[in-house]
Amino acid sequence: MSLPQFRLLRPRTLDEAVGYLAKHTDKLRVLAGGTDLIPSMRQKLFEPEYVLDIRHVVELKGIQPRAGEGVSIGALTSLSTIEHSDFLRRHYPVLPEAAATVASPVLRNMGTLGGNICLDTRCLWYNQSLTWRKGCGFCIKKDGDLCHVAPGGSKCWAVFSGDTPPALLCLNAEVEIAGPSGLRRLPLREFYTGVGDAYRKLRPSELLTRVFLPEASVDYLGVYRKLRVRGSIDYPLAGVAVVLKRSNGHVSDARLAITAVNPAPLLVKGASEMLAGKVIDEALAEAVGDLAAKTAKPLTTSALTPEYRREMIRVFAKRAVLAANN
Amino acid sequence: MTDFTIIGKPTAMVDAAGKTTGAGKYADDLSLPGMLVGRILHSPFPHARIKRIDTSRAEKLDGVVAVVTGKDAPNPYGILPVGHDEHALATDKVRYVGDNVACVAAVDESTADKALELIDVEYEVLPAYFDPEDSMKAETELIHDNKPHNLEKDYHHVFGDPEKAFAEAAHVAEARFIANEVTHAAMEPHCTLASFEIDSLTGKPGRLTVWSSTQVPYYLQHKLSLVLEMQMSQIRVIKPLVGGGFGGKSEVIPLEIIAAVAARAARAPVKITYTREEVFWAHRGRPRTIIDLKTGVDKDGHITAVKARVVQDGGAYCSYGVVTILYSGALLGALYDIPNIQYDGYRVLTNKPVCGAMRGHGTVNVRFAFESQLDELALKLKMDSAEIRRRNLLKPPCITINGLRVQSYGLPECIDKVVERSGWKNRIGKLPKGRGLGIACSHYVSGAANSIIRSDMPHSTVNIKIDRDGGVVVYTGASDIGQGSDTMVAQIAAETLGCSMARVKVVAADTDLTPIDIGSYSSRVTFMNGNATLRAAQDVKKQIATAAARKMACAPEDLVFREDKVSKNHVGAGGLPALAEQGSPSPHQQSSVSGRVEGQILRGSLQQKRKDEGPKDQLTFEEAVVAAIDFHGALSGTGSYAPPAEARGGKHKGAGVGPSPAYSYSAQVAEVSVDEETGEVTVHKVWASHDCGRALNPVSVEGQIIGSVWMGMGQALTEEMVWKDGMLMNPGLLEYRSPSSVESPEIEAIIVESVDPEGPFGAKECSEGSLAATIPAIANAVYDAVGVRLHESPFTPERVLAALRAKKNAKTLNLTEGVDPTSPVRFREHGGSLWFRGKGPERHAQDPSRRESVVKAGGDD
Ligand SMILES: Cc1cc2nc3c(=O)[nH]c(=O)nc-3n(C[C@H](O)[C@H](O)[C@H](O)COP(=O)(O)OP(=O)(O)OC[C@H]3O[C@@H](n4cnc5c(N)ncnc54)[C@H](O)[C@@H]3O)c2cc1C
Ligand code: SF4
Repeated sequence: MSLPQFRLLRPRTLDEAVGYLAKHTDKLRVLAGGTDLIPSMRQKLFEPEYVLDIRHVVELKGIQPRAGEGVSIGALTSLSTIEHSDFLRRHYPVLPEAAATVASPVLRNMGTLGGNICLDTRCLWYNQSLTWRKGCGFCIKKDGDLCHVAPGGSKCWAVFSGDTPPALLCLNAEVEIAGPSGLRRLPLREFYTGVGDAYRKLRPSELLTRVFLPEASVDYLGVYRKLRVRGSIDYPLAGVAVVLKRSNGHVSDARLAITAVNPAPLLVKGASEMLAGKVIDEALAEAVGDLAAKTAKPLTTSALTPEYRREMIRVFAKRAVLAANN
Repeated sequence: MTDFTIIGKPTAMVDAAGKTTGAGKYADDLSLPGMLVGRILHSPFPHARIKRIDTSRAEKLDGVVAVVTGKDAPNPYGILPVGHDEHALATDKVRYVGDNVACVAAVDESTADKALELIDVEYEVLPAYFDPEDSMKAETELIHDNKPHNLEKDYHHVFGDPEKAFAEAAHVAEARFIANEVTHAAMEPHCTLASFEIDSLTGKPGRLTVWSSTQVPYYLQHKLSLVLEMQMSQIRVIKPLVGGGFGGKSEVIPLEIIAAVAARAARAPVKITYTREEVFWAHRGRPRTIIDLKTGVDKDGHITAVKARVVQDGGAYCSYGVVTILYSGALLGALYDIPNIQYDGYRVLTNKPVCGAMRGHGTVNVRFAFESQLDELALKLKMDSAEIRRRNLLKPPCITINGLRVQSYGLPECIDKVVERSGWKNRIGKLPKGRGLGIACSHYVSGAANSIIRSDMPHSTVNIKIDRDGGVVVYTGASDIGQGSDTMVAQIAAETLGCSMARVKVVAADTDLTPIDIGSYSSRVTFMNGNATLRAAQDVKKQIATAAARKMACAPEDLVFREDKVSKNHVGAGGLPALAEQGSPSPHQQSSVSGRVEGQILRGSLQQKRKDEGPKDQLTFEEAVVAAIDFHGALSGTGSYAPPAEARGGKHKGAGVGPSPAYSYSAQVAEVSVDEETGEVTVHKVWASHDCGRALNPVSVEGQIIGSVWMGMGQALTEEMVWKDGMLMNPGLLEYRSPSSVESPEIEAIIVESVDPEGPFGAKECSEGSLAATIPAIANAVYDAVGVRLHESPFTPERVLAALRAKKNAKTLNLTEGVDPTSPVRFREHGGSLWFRGKGPERHAQDPSRRESVVKAGGDD
C-alpha cells in the first residue's frame, strides 16, 4: 500500500510549527512518532496535503520535574522514555506502567505521549484499507453516512484505544495546547468529546505541547490492567487504571479510569466516593468493578465480544483496586 | 551405520549468513532495468457477474504502461488437474471479496494505485454463500455452474463394519467439533517478478523468466505454460530466498500468473508484491471445518470404530480442496490401530477466499476432534489418557484398514518420552485447580506416494557435478523456503561423498538448471529429494571409487570415503563401507569404465608424480576426484526417487491421497493454566516428541518441532479469520493474532529416531506432523485444569469463560452469541470471536445472511 502524496514540513521550533498550522490548518496532519498516522495514511484514512513532522521541535521533548508543581512532560517524549523514567516510576508509577503496555518495544521507541493522547479512535470497520472499505460500504467516520456498529443511529462509536490516558486521567493531568492565539491549558478529562469521529477538542490549527501532572497527584499507589489477546503488540480491548492513597489503612483518595470501551477514556464517576475512607476488601473491590462495568459501553468496534469486554472491565477493575492496595 | 561425520550433527544452515546479514535476496529485493510495478484490482463483492470493464481511463493516466483483464489470459488453471477453475483475472464472474479483476503495470506503486481507481467495473451482484451448510443447499446462482449444490467434491468411505462395531462397543462418544479458519501468515508476503526476453526475430515477447516466492517452481512453470500458451521450455522459474510458506506458496498464487500476463502486455519486467491484506485474500489456508465424530471403544480401551462426517468451508475455488478433504479421512488411519472406519467428507464452495494446503494439510482439525474425543472416552473408562493411546498402537510393519503402509513407527517411544519428561504419572489430575496437563498424538506423511499429476515420472531428480579441485555442485529442484532443504541436500551429498560441507555448493530451484522436483509440500523434500541426492552422490562416488581403486590397487569396494580422504578400508578410522547399500547401480557405470586413458587430457605434473610413486593407501578427496575425471572424462552423477509401488495405497475412489512411503509420529504433553475469571489460557510448557526417522540435522528438527507447536498453539488459542458477509474482518497481522514471543511457552523438543528403512539415512518428515497434536493437547489440558471440554477452536478467552460459566450455572452472559463452545452446532456467519450484530455491507437481497433479521446493535443507551 503506497502512501498518498503530501508535502513534508519540518519545523525546528514551536513558533515555526504553529506558523505552519495557522497557514494550512485543515489541509495538514501532525506527525509525531507516526506509529498511528502512517498506517492510517496508507489505508487512505487521511490524505493530507501537508504533513507537519514535529519530531525536531526539541522543546517538546523530555520530562521536567518542577519543584512543588509536579512535572511537565513534553508531548514528543517517547513512550519508552516514560516507561523507563526513574522519576515517574517513583512518583507517578501508574503512568510508566501504562506506557509499558503500549504496542511493542519498537513502537514505544517511536510512539510519543502526545500521539498516544491524540490517538485516533479505532473501529474494525474503519481501520481498513480503502479497497476494504469500498467493499463494505463507507461509514460515518470516513466518507459515509451510516454506522456498521450501531446501524440505526447517526453517531460514530469508534473506540478510544490509548493506554496512557486512563492513567493520566487518574493523575488529574492537564494538557497544554498551542495555537494561533497562544497557549491554553485544559484538564485532560475535558479534552475528549465522547463521540467517535470528532473525538478530541483540538482545532485543526492547534498542537498539543505538554502534559502536566500536578504535585497533588504525587506518590499515589497506582496500577494499570489491560485486556489484550497477546502479551505484546495488541491495542487494549479494555483497560483500567486506578490510583489511590491511604492513611492508616484507609483509602484517603482514589480515582479509577477506563479505556478502550468507549469513544473516550473515562474517569469512572462515583468510584472515588465509593472507595474514600474505606478499607479495601474483596467486596468493596467488586462493587467498584460493577460500577466500572456500568460506565463501559463496549460495542462491536473491536475484537472479542462487547459482553466479554464489559465483563473484563468488571474483573480488571476489581483486580486493579486489590493490586493497588497491596 | 551410525558413525556419521555430518549427518546427525547440528549444522548451520548454508544460507544463514545471507539471511542474517541482509545480503540474501528475496523476490521483492530483486529489480530489473525498466521494471514496472504491478497492482491488482480486487473485487469488492463476494459474488457478482462482471458486465463491463472499462480500463480506458486508467490507461490514459501518465505512467501507466499496461492494464490487463481476464480476456488477456482466458485459459483456466488450478493446482489439481481436476480443479482447473481459476483464471489469472476474472473472465465472467468474481467469487469472493478480493478476487482478481484487473492489473495495472505502471512506473511506480502510487501511479498504479491511482490507476486502479480509474478502472470502471460494472457488476451484477449475485446472492452469495458464506456458510458451507447453507451453500450445500443452493439450487441456483451456483458459484461454479458445473458444481451442483456448490459441492466441490464429496467422498464416502467405509472400511470394515463400523455399524456392527459401534453396536458392540462398550462406550461410544459422539459430538460435533468446529475448527475455525486459519491462515499461514508467513513473514514474507508473496512476490513475483516476471520478465520476457524480446525475441530478436519477431520482436514479440519470447522466453519468460519468473522469480517468485514459491514452494513449487515446477508447478508454476507448468501452469504458466498452460495460461500463457507457451512451451515449458520457454519458461524459466527461479525461486530466490523464500520467507516461509507453510503451504501458502505451495500452489500457483494469482499474482504469479498475473505478473507474467502484465509483463507480456507491457513488454517490460513487472513485479507484484502483495500487501498483507492481499496475502489474506490469496489465503489457501486451513478451511473452517465441521467434524461430526463418533468413536467406539471396548471395555479395555481399544478403539473399535470411528465414524467421521467432515464438512470443509473451502472458499470459492477448488485449489487443493479435493486433496484436503481426502487427507481428513485417510489420516484417520496410520496413527492408531482402528479396525473399522466410516468417512463422509464434503468439500464445499463458498464465496470466500480460497482454502488450500496448510501445515498439517487436512489432518489438523480432525485430529483436534479425535484426540479430544479419545480423552472423553478415557474418562468414561476411568483410564489414563496416555494409557488409552498406548492400548491402540499399530503393530508395524502393517497395512491399515484403509490401505496405508506403515513401516517405521516411533509412536510408542514418543508417548513414553513425553510421559516421562513431563512427570505425567505423578502430576496428571493432581495439579492445583486451574492448572492442568493434556496429552495428544499426531502423525503426518513424508510426502505423498502419488503425485498430483498422475504419472510415473520420478518425484525428485538430483544431479551432481564435481570439478577438478574437488568442488561439489548439487543441482536440485528442492525449494528451500526457510525449512533448510539446501542444507539437507548439502549434508547428504557431503556425508555420502565423505567430503566436507564447505566443498558443497547447492544450486536449487531454477527450472533451467535443476532437474524436476515437484516442490516443497506434504513434507516430502527430505525423504524424496534427500533420497535422490543420496543416489546421485552414490552414483558419482562409484565413479570416483573406480578410478581411485585403480590408483590404489584395490577393489572399489575396499575404499572408505571420509573426512575429505579416500582410504583403503583398513587405513584410518575405519567406518563406512565403501559403497552404501542403498541405490541401484548407475547406468553411468558401464559407459565410464571404457573411459579415456588417464592423463590423456590433462597432463598435470602432479598426477604424473603420483603415478610414479606407485599405489597409495590413501588419496585426498581432490586427488581421487582428479583421478576420476582423468579416467572418466567428466564427473557427474544423477539420482532419482519415486515412491515404491507397495506404498501407493488401496484401490478405492480417492485412495491416492494419504499413502506415503513413511509416516512421522508425534506425542505431546501441554501444561496450561486457566484464569477462571477471565477465561484466559496460558500455556506454560509443551513437551513435544517427534519421530523423524533420523535427525539429519538435529537443530533443524528441533526448530521444526518448536515451530509446529507454536503454530498449533496459535490455532488453539488466538488465530482465527473472522467474517462478516464475505468480508474478512481481520486481514492484517494486528487483528489476526499469531502468538507473540511473550506468550510463547517453553517447548521441550524431544527427537525420536525410528530409522525408516526407506528414508535417506533413515530420515522421515519433521515439519508438519507435530502441529496437529498441539491443539488437542491444549484442549485436554484445559479440561484437566478446569473441567470444561471445548469443542470449538480457537479457545479464545470469551469462549473459555462462556464454557466455565455454563458449567458453574453462573449468571449467563451472552459471551459467544449464544453458541456454546462446548457443544457448537453451527458456524456463526462471521466466524467466532466477534459478535457482529452490526450492519455490514449491503448485498444481494437473497443473501442467506440477509434473510435473518439483523439484531439491533448493542448500544443500549
Ligand atoms: C501495531 C500497533 C500496535 C499498537 N498498539 C497500541 C497499544 O497497545 N496501545 C496504544 O495506546 N497505542 C497503540 N498503538 C498506537 C500508537 O503506536 C501509540 O498510541 C503511540 O503512542 C502514538 O504516538 P505517535 O507519536 O506515534 O503518534 P502519531 O502517529 O504521530 O500521531 C497520532 C495522532 O495524533 C496526532 N498527534 C500526534 N502528536 C500530536 C501533537 N503533539 N499535537 C496534536 N496532534 C498530535 C497525529 O496527527 C495523529 O492523528 C499501536 C500502533 C501500532 C501500529
Ligand atoms: S463506530 Fe460506526 S461510524 Fe464509527 S467507525 Fe465504526 S462503523 Fe464507522
